[in-house]
Amino acid sequence: MKSIAVQVTNYQALPDERGHFGIYGGRYVPEMLFPALEELEAAYLEAKKDPAFHKELNDLYTHYSGRPTPLYFCSNLSRQLQGAKIYVKNEGLNHTGAHKINHCLGQALLAKRMGKRRIIAETGAGQHGLASATVAAKFGFQCVIYMGEVDVARQRPNVFWMERLGAEVRPVTFGNKTLTDAVNAALKDWIENVRDTYYLLGSAVGPHPYPTIVRDFQSVVGREVRKQLQEQEGRLPDYIIACVGGGSNAMGIFYEFLNEEKVRLIGVEAGGRGIRPGEHAARFQGGRLGVVEGFKSFFLQDEDGQIMKTHSVSAGLDYAGVGPEISYLWETGRIQASYATDEEALEALQILIRTEGIIPALESAHAVAEAIKLAPKLDRDKIIVVNLSGRGDKDIFIIAEALKDVKWQEFLKSKVNHPGHVT
Amino acid sequence: MRKLLQTLETLRQKRKLGLMTHVVVGYPRLEETIRLVKAMGETGADLIELQMPFSDPVADGPTILIANKVSLDQGTKMRDCLRVMSQLSGEMEVPLLFMGYYNLIFNYGVEKFCQDAAKAGAQGLIVPDIPPDEESEEHYYEACNQYGLVPIIVVSPASTEKRLKMLANYAKGFVYAVSRYGITGARAELAPELIDYLKRVRQFIHLPLAVGFGISKKEHIQALAPHAEIAVVGSALINLYNQLPEGEKIEGIKKFIRELKN
Ligand SMILES: Cc1ncc(COP(=O)(O)O)c(C=O)c1O
Repeated sequence: MKSIAVQVTNYQALPDERGHFGIYGGRYVPEMLFPALEELEAAYLEAKKDPAFHKELNDLYTHYSGRPTPLYFCSNLSRQLQGAKIYVKNEGLNHTGAHKINHCLGQALLAKRMGKRRIIAETGAGQHGLASATVAAKFGFQCVIYMGEVDVARQRPNVFWMERLGAEVRPVTFGNKTLTDAVNAALKDWIENVRDTYYLLGSAVGPHPYPTIVRDFQSVVGREVRKQLQEQEGRLPDYIIACVGGGSNAMGIFYEFLNEEKVRLIGVEAGGRGIRPGEHAARFQGGRLGVVEGFKSFFLQDEDGQIMKTHSVSAGLDYAGVGPEISYLWETGRIQASYATDEEALEALQILIRTEGIIPALESAHAVAEAIKLAPKLDRDKIIVVNLSGRGDKDIFIIAEALKDVKWQEFLKSKVNHPGHVT
Repeated sequence: MRKLLQTLETLRQKRKLGLMTHVVVGYPRLEETIRLVKAMGETGADLIELQMPFSDPVADGPTILIANKVSLDQGTKMRDCLRVMSQLSGEMEVPLLFMGYYNLIFNYGVEKFCQDAAKAGAQGLIVPDIPPDEESEEHYYEACNQYGLVPIIVVSPASTEKRLKMLANYAKGFVYAVSRYGITGARAELAPELIDYLKRVRQFIHLPLAVGFGISKKEHIQALAPHAEIAVVGSALINLYNQLPEGEKIEGIKKFIRELKN
C-alpha cells in the first residue's frame, strides 16, 4: 500500500469531536467502557482549559522530570558521516529515563482531578510501566501493571523497580505474551473496575480520547525542540526522525511541526529480523486497516483479520498496531514511514555510544539508524533532529546478549553461582 | 431473522425464561462444535451463539479467551465459521447467532459479511465492539438490516440514560444486558443492583432482555426468571465441557442443559 499525498490546511485541527483523524481513530469499544471514556474526555477538556492544571504539570515537568531535556548537537557523529548535522533530543535524560514520564505525569494529574484512587497500565518495554509506577508512588495511587510474560522475562530490571515502587506487576500469559496482550488484560481490568480506576494508557493508541491526551502531554517535546534549535541554529530542522511503537514519542516531537511543511517527518518502525510475516513490527510494511483495541488504524493481521505475531529486539516497538494519528499522517503523506532491523538498530546503538558517549534505548536506536542512513545523503547545511526517546541502561541484558559479550555472560554466571557475593 | 423472531414470540407467549447458550467455533475442534450445538438444540437451548474466534477478544474472560486461542491454533478460519453456521442452520430450527469482534467483520467487508452470514442462516449478530456511535463511518447496522440479520445491542450497568435512549434506536430482537452483578444471599436472590439495572434498561428499551452474569446453576436461572426473558450461559458450559471426562462430554452438557431448563 502506498500513501497518497493530499492537501490538508491544518494538521493540528484533528481529531474531530468523536476522535477521528480522517478515517482513523474513533471509539470502537464495548458499551461497558463508554461511560468511562466520556467521563475521561469531559475531565480532560475541562483540565485543558484550566491554567492551574497547566501550571502544576509544567512544574512537574521542570522540577520532577528535569525538563527541558537537552537538544544536543552530535558533532562527532555528524563529522564521521560527512553529511547533515545530527541533533538528538535527549528524552533519555528525563526522570525514569524516557519520554513516557511526560504522559504519565499529565495523566496522573488527570486521575487525581477525577478522584480516582487506583491506576492500571500496560507495558511492553517496561518503560511506561516504570513511569506509571513512579507517578503512582508519587501521587499515592494503588497501581497494577500488566505486562506480557515474555516482556517480564526480558525486562526484569524494570519489573524489579516497578515492584520496589509499590506496583503489582501482573504477567500476562495468553496470546503472544507481549504488549498487545498486556493492553487486552488492562482493558479487562478497566471494564471490571471503571468506577475507581484510571487506565493510564502508555502510547498514542486506544479509543478516543487517549490518542489525543497522550499526544498533547507529549507535545512539549516538539515545542522545546523548536525553541532550542532556534537558539542554536536560528532555524527549523529539515528532518525530524522518531521511532514508532504506538506513536507517543513520534507524535510528541512531530506535532509542533505538522504545519511546517518544509520540515520532513520520518517515523521508524521495527524491521525485526526482516520484513517477513511474524518477524517484524512494521505496520506500514504489509499491515492493513483494522479495528482492534478500540480504534481504527493499521494493524499487522492475517487474511481473516487475526492479529499477527510480531517481533522486535526492542520490546517497546514490538506491537501489531500503530496510533491512529500516525496512520492518518502517513496516509496524507505528511510523514514518511521507514524501518530499521534489529541488526541496524544494534549497530546504530554502538555507533552513538562510541561517537557521542550516549547510550540510547533500543527503541530510540531505530531512529538513530535512520539518521545514520540519511545523513550522508544530505548536504552539510541540512539539519536532522532525532528523538532519542529513552536511554539504554535498562536494555543492558538484551544488548549484552545481542552483542554476545562474553564477560557479561561470565558475570551473570558468577552471580547465579555466588548470589549475594559483592565485590 | 424469522427463526429468531418466532422464538422470541414463543417465549413471550409461554412466559418462560429462555436459554441462550454459547460455543466457540472450532473449540476444541470443528466437528465437535457441530455435535455440541446440535446437542444443545436437542436438549432445549432456545438460542445459540456461535462465536467466531478472534486473536484479541477484549470483552471475554479467561475461559472463552483460551477457547478462542485453541480454536485459532487449530487453524479455524472465517470460512469455517460460515460453513458450520450453514450446515447447522440447515439442520435445526433453533435460531443461531454469530458472536464476534468487529475486526473480523470489518476485514471481511461489512456488507459482504452480512450477506454471507445471512445466506448461511445466521439470525443475528452480537458484536460487542461496534457501537452505534461509529455508524456514520461503518454502516454496520444498516448492512444488518439490509440483509435481515438482527444486530443485537449490548447494554451494561454503566450505561447512562442518554446512552440507553440512543441505543434504543438501534435495538432489535432482544437486548444483551451484561452484568457483573449476580446472586446474593443464601436464598439465591438476584443482587438488588442487578434488578435495578434491568428495570432501568426496560424504561428505555422495550425488548426482551438476555442476561448473563456467570450463570452456572439452576438456582441462578430461577432467581433470574422474574426479571428477564433470556438467560445467557457461556463460560460455565465451556468449563463443564473441559472438566468432563472424554467420551462423556456431550452427554454431560446435555444433562446440564436439561437441568437448567427444568
Ligand atoms: C524509550 C522508548 N521509546 C519508544 C517507545 C515506543 O513507544 P511510542 O511509539 O509510543 O513512543 C517506547 C515504548 O515502550 C520506549 O520505552
